[in-house]
Amino acid sequence: MALGKVYPSPEEALADVFDGATILVGGAVGAGLPENLLRALSNGGARGLTLVYSAGAGSISSTAGNSSGKSSIESLVMEGRVSRIISPMPFPPNAGGQIEDSWRQGEIQIEILPQGVLAERLRAGGAGLGGVFLPTALGTRFQEGRERREIDGKSYLLETPLKADFALLKARAADTFGSLVYQGSGRNWGPVMAMAARIGVAEVGRICEPGGLDPEAVVTPGIFVNRLVECP
Amino acid sequence: MASRLDDHQIALRVLRELHPGQTIALGTGLPSTLCRVAAPDVGLRFLAESGVLGYQGSSQGATGSPGVFGSDGSPVSLLPGSSLNSLDETAAMLRGGHVDFAVVQPAQVDSQGSFTHWTSAATPGLHAPGTSLDLAAGARRLVAMMHHTAADGSSNIVGECRGVIDGAACVDLIVTDLAVISVSPDFGNSKEGLVLTEVAPGWRADDLVALTDAPLKVSPNLTEMRFDSISGPVPEKVPEKVYTSGPLAVGDIPDGATIMIDGFAGPGGMAHYLLVSLRDQGAKDLTIISNTAGIARVINFGTPPGRQAIDHSILIDNNQVRKAIASYPVSPSVSRPSAFELAYRKGDVELELVPQGTLAERLRAGGAGIGGFYTPTGVGTLIAEGKETRTIEGKEYLLERGLRADYCLIRGYKADTLGNVVYRGTSRNFNSVMAPAAAVTIVEVDEIVAPGDLDPELIVTPGIYVSRVVRRPPEFSAYE
Repeated sequence: MALGKVYPSPEEALADVFDGATILVGGAVGAGLPENLLRALSNGGARGLTLVYSAGAGSISSTAGNSSGKSSIESLVMEGRVSRIISPMPFPPNAGGQIEDSWRQGEIQIEILPQGVLAERLRAGGAGLGGVFLPTALGTRFQEGRERREIDGKSYLLETPLKADFALLKARAADTFGSLVYQGSGRNWGPVMAMAARIGVAEVGRICEPGGLDPEAVVTPGIFVNRLVECP
Repeated sequence: MASRLDDHQIALRVLRELHPGQTIALGTGLPSTLCRVAAPDVGLRFLAESGVLGYQGSSQGATGSPGVFGSDGSPVSLLPGSSLNSLDETAAMLRGGHVDFAVVQPAQVDSQGSFTHWTSAATPGLHAPGTSLDLAAGARRLVAMMHHTAADGSSNIVGECRGVIDGAACVDLIVTDLAVISVSPDFGNSKEGLVLTEVAPGWRADDLVALTDAPLKVSPNLTEMRFDSISGPVPEKVPEKVYTSGPLAVGDIPDGATIMIDGFAGPGGMAHYLLVSLRDQGAKDLTIISNTAGIARVINFGTPPGRQAIDHSILIDNNQVRKAIASYPVSPSVSRPSAFELAYRKGDVELELVPQGTLAERLRAGGAGIGGFYTPTGVGTLIAEGKETRTIEGKEYLLERGLRADYCLIRGYKADTLGNVVYRGTSRNFNSVMAPAAAVTIVEVDEIVAPGDLDPELIVTPGIYVSRVVRRPPEFSAYE
């Protein structure tokens, strides 16, 4: 197929994930977690990973080939692959499971960010900006170490761009150029994470030839997506 | 002692604060129940932190719409006029001030209106806030929906929060299972005190003062909480977005207004009817923000044979424009200058030149509540003059500021009556960044349809950004 973006399996799409890589993981409450790619990450050997993910993503259980009762991200933590997590809420409150245990035992580091700040830092990273002035964290613990600036009479904090080596995403369908369409609230982190990673990888329900998607309906243009795997 | 309200009753009381047509962002926990309690025909537009705008909670066990989940991850149903948004967009809606209300569940609220979110309290040592900061910092009005006391009987309403702060001096109203407490109603924005305005049935003001670990004034107009169900359409009407004519839609634009005008150089994006309406309306001293300052006349893009071109030039000819902020203010042909060029040479208009990508980013920043940003575009060029430069990780950037306007005139293909808009082809151009960046966004469309007639996956500009919609009359159909 065209341009060589289509990979035969999740494992092959992630074969070059290296030790210490920073990986954005799409998905949020209820939808959009790339479970097949996460399983491939588990099957691969990379260690010392930094995972960046949304509130709600840490608790989503893989339904395919997982009898452990652990969520997909929990499994990676349990296998000792993860050294650091950046998230607004890395595990469910009052039910932290393996992620919380590993953090409390000092096996992994966790950096907490407000969700909207994470989204905008990723967008800045993806859009080539050097930084953005946001009002969100004013008056909270998250303003520590941030440069404060008055602009047109309002206060803002300087937030730096966030980029990553890989983004693992899930979409409803793609064309072979990598254009993506999502389903429902599964859109969540796809657009901004695809921009912010050097290599965007998407597992999709269906891959079609260019022209198979309505151009008005494409949410993530193929320019942001490097690899595709069909996972019906 | 009288019984406390259950969560359903608290939700009903919170709903009484809301008005049809408002957008209400729901946090996790108790607030996520509001979408299940509100009747779908009341006209409340809930925004879930999962990226769904305008949805209805599914009753227990119901499946909801495929792949659509609410703030707490349970399935919800799309309603006619729903749209689906990415989470960077959802955060931008909040930060940009587009959301009327947000509802959060604090573990504690203090007398300044600062709060600790329940998720921060439930993740000791880590204090994970989720989306609570976005809800707190962004919404025009913030409601705390919570239980009055903790499991050990201690008050959740305190003089000063003992835990981390997830929102500073931002709660406007506290609704609990025992009372409604207003935060500093008499002190404007200073948030200086708590006033008990309502008590649950069977409870006395003294009980609440005793159960609240913060100074609590009792309102002289203290009443019993009402939490009767809102069933069926309420009498209050959802504000109408559909205007019957262009002149009505632009009628209140005052002299001196700043106006964004959609359109790229080519055909497809120009709001011809609104521009003619604005010319006839006559507002003066306008600042226009646009990609070009009007070149349709010199290149004849989009103009039917034998007809006069319609673009910014008709405002310039009519002496309505004082200044343009634009990327392409000149004609591509030296021998055929645009109306703006001629006026500029005569000194009648001012110009602020902005590179196209910087213009787009400044507009996005304006709409998304971003004060400014560092961009590499323009470094080392005339554009950099007078601007702060900064080296970040070895690369040089310019500081550019967000750009907002009083009005925005854009052209869509179809809109529903809630203001959701789809475009056709390259006419999409600046619309998605302009629409959120103006106080009043007016959209001219070929067709106005009912909510539900547009596929929620295809909506480009959600109705939250659109104030007025007008149908383009047939006499303009020849203009592309």
